[in-house]
Amino acid sequence: MIRTISQKEVTSVLRDKRFVLIGVIVVLLLVAAVITGIISYKQLSAERTIAQQEASNDFKDQPARHPHRMAHYGSYAFRPKSSFSFFDFGLDSYTGTMVYLEAHQQNSSNFSTVQQSGSLLRFGELTVAFVLQWLIPLLIIFLSFNTFTQEKEDATIKNLLSQGMTVGEIALGKLHGYLKVLTLILVPALLATFVFMFLANDLKFNGDFLLRLALFVAAYSIYFFIFLALCILVSAFNQYSRTALISLLAIWIFCCILLPKITANMGSLLFPAPVKAEMDALVHHAASKGIDGHNPQDKRRADLTKKLLAKYKVDSVSQLPVNIDGVIMAEGEAYSSRVYAEEFDKLADTFRKQSSISEWAGFVNPFQAIRYISMGLAGTDAAHYVHFLKAAEAYRYQLTQHLNHLQASKLKYHDKDTRLDSSHWKNYPEFEYRQPPVTFALSRHWISIAALLTWGILLLSLFRYLISRLFKP
Amino acid sequence: MEFVLEARGLCKSYLENRALKPLNLSLQQGEIFSLLGPNGAGKSTTINLFLGFIKPSSGAAYINGIEVARNPVEIKRYLAYIPEQVVLYPNLTGLENLSLLSCLAGYRYNKQELRGLLMKAGLQSEAIDRYTGGYSKGMRQKVGIAGALAKKAKVLLLDEPTSGLDPKASNEFSVLLQQLSEEGTAVFMATHDIFRAREVSTRIGIMKAGELVHELRSGDMDANELEKLYLNYMHD
Repeated sequence: MIRTISQKEVTSVLRDKRFVLIGVIVVLLLVAAVITGIISYKQLSAERTIAQQEASNDFKDQPARHPHRMAHYGSYAFRPKSSFSFFDFGLDSYTGTMVYLEAHQQNSSNFSTVQQSGSLLRFGELTVAFVLQWLIPLLIIFLSFNTFTQEKEDATIKNLLSQGMTVGEIALGKLHGYLKVLTLILVPALLATFVFMFLANDLKFNGDFLLRLALFVAAYSIYFFIFLALCILVSAFNQYSRTALISLLAIWIFCCILLPKITANMGSLLFPAPVKAEMDALVHHAASKGIDGHNPQDKRRADLTKKLLAKYKVDSVSQLPVNIDGVIMAEGEAYSSRVYAEEFDKLADTFRKQSSISEWAGFVNPFQAIRYISMGLAGTDAAHYVHFLKAAEAYRYQLTQHLNHLQASKLKYHDKDTRLDSSHWKNYPEFEYRQPPVTFALSRHWISIAALLTWGILLLSLFRYLISRLFKP
Repeated sequence: MEFVLEARGLCKSYLENRALKPLNLSLQQGEIFSLLGPNGAGKSTTINLFLGFIKPSSGAAYINGIEVARNPVEIKRYLAYIPEQVVLYPNLTGLENLSLLSCLAGYRYNKQELRGLLMKAGLQSEAIDRYTGGYSKGMRQKVGIAGALAKKAKVLLLDEPTSGLDPKASNEFSVLLQQLSEEGTAVFMATHDIFRAREVSTRIGIMKAGELVHELRSGDMDANELEKLYLNYMHD
């Protein structure tokens, strides 16, 4: 009986020209989003690979120089595109793509896509995630808002009920039928995506990639199921198609537009983040005056000098077997980096707190749950960005300390003229960023995953019960 | 002889208002019973009681010897109902609508059998594979009758089946009912059409203000006399 209803829904929908038109448009948008996504991925990742290569080569090809000159010459860390970023651009367009690495200070990342484009981009890009998160729910609404109300208005529901079917059975049949229709639309789109991904052949088809793909499909399937079940429930509850449509559009606007903005604003209101200049000043101050204000830079230097003189049992710094300039520089770098790392962790923590409100909102609004899961799987969320910044900072710190060490061990006290041979930087390892594995994304987004699963499981298990309670003849 | 449709003291009240006064009525296989009466006389209430859509205040309705109110799902196997307006899914063809109806009733037919049923119900063969969105009332009714044939209903309940039909369609419908009756289906219909009722029925009842005031065999009088009798009751 359920299969009969399901079959009837599939046939009816496929014969509805309006729906076929909307379906074709959505599939075309999806395919267009995949193609533009992959093209821009190829372009951006090629650009960044070349830029990174050039920056690394520039550093390596430096002639003989004083090591501290090299520390100031510095290098650049370019953030490579994650291979799934074409699916969901996430924050990628807004976050910086490059960090200048130099001694003494931690620069912020620069050159986001938005910074470099016209104002149009700020209205949003056509991405696969946009189509899947915003447009497919709309498609589901247009597909199924009148599934019960139409039958009530035409009195066909009486036919079904007078054949001895329960409302729950009818609803399950409808659910089954619409899921089939969605599959009919989305599977070809998914296959097309595969073909383009294969053609692009820049992507690394390793286990991690395939696992991400599988999780993507699973998460979005649950998301679509939630929307579909909600639509059928609303249609069962309403007596007229127009009220069902208006209710569902109101839910869509609330879930996909209003609530995300409200929770984001609440987040930045409740947990204000420091301004970049403020934070820089704080780090600078703490580094020169000491973290607690009682241990200023001059005193730290004097203490270090005293310690070294005592250790090597000599009277003046010029008699030391090591170059104290390098040692002091290394100490200063270590100290300021520690201060910076602490401040940076606080900042990252503030950002996490800000977004945690939106993440918990996933229990109210499945849209916000899928949004974080999707960004996380694509590697374009805040956590991945922070991961990159930390990797860049770690590289910067090691490079600077390497050069300080050269100064301490190979140069004499107050020697500002000696130049070290270029072989000293030729062999230093380049900056190579490795994206964290999929488990990183999953562990960062357990709230959203739990929210989405809760929605899915609750709706699946309570669907028949809710339908029979909510149904109004 | 057992009765396929029976009312024993069947009665329905809404608060103080008695929609149906105790009704005793029984139909054998193949009988056609027409219930005449003005709007609000209780004809539809009676049909809804037999369908189990509403519960009786006292007394009971029986289909094939089974009490309706206690077995609302089971009795639907023996019963087919054709409302005044047969509603079908406009995006499906006549054949697909019938297939859906019979599947829900638990019968699986192949296309040839479904086609046969629709032809038997009098649907033109070229209409069978058209979407029912373009069907006339009479054509939709024929799909409904085919649905009754498909589930091998013992009892057919009809609510004003001929209202809004043109004379030819109305006549075809009468012929169809007689055919069903010859095959043993009992038909119970509420109607305003005195002429059709006289022509097609075996028995006729006149209902007024919830009460069956007169019952007769249709051979007892001609259509004119029947109309006079009916009007007499209504003028009181």
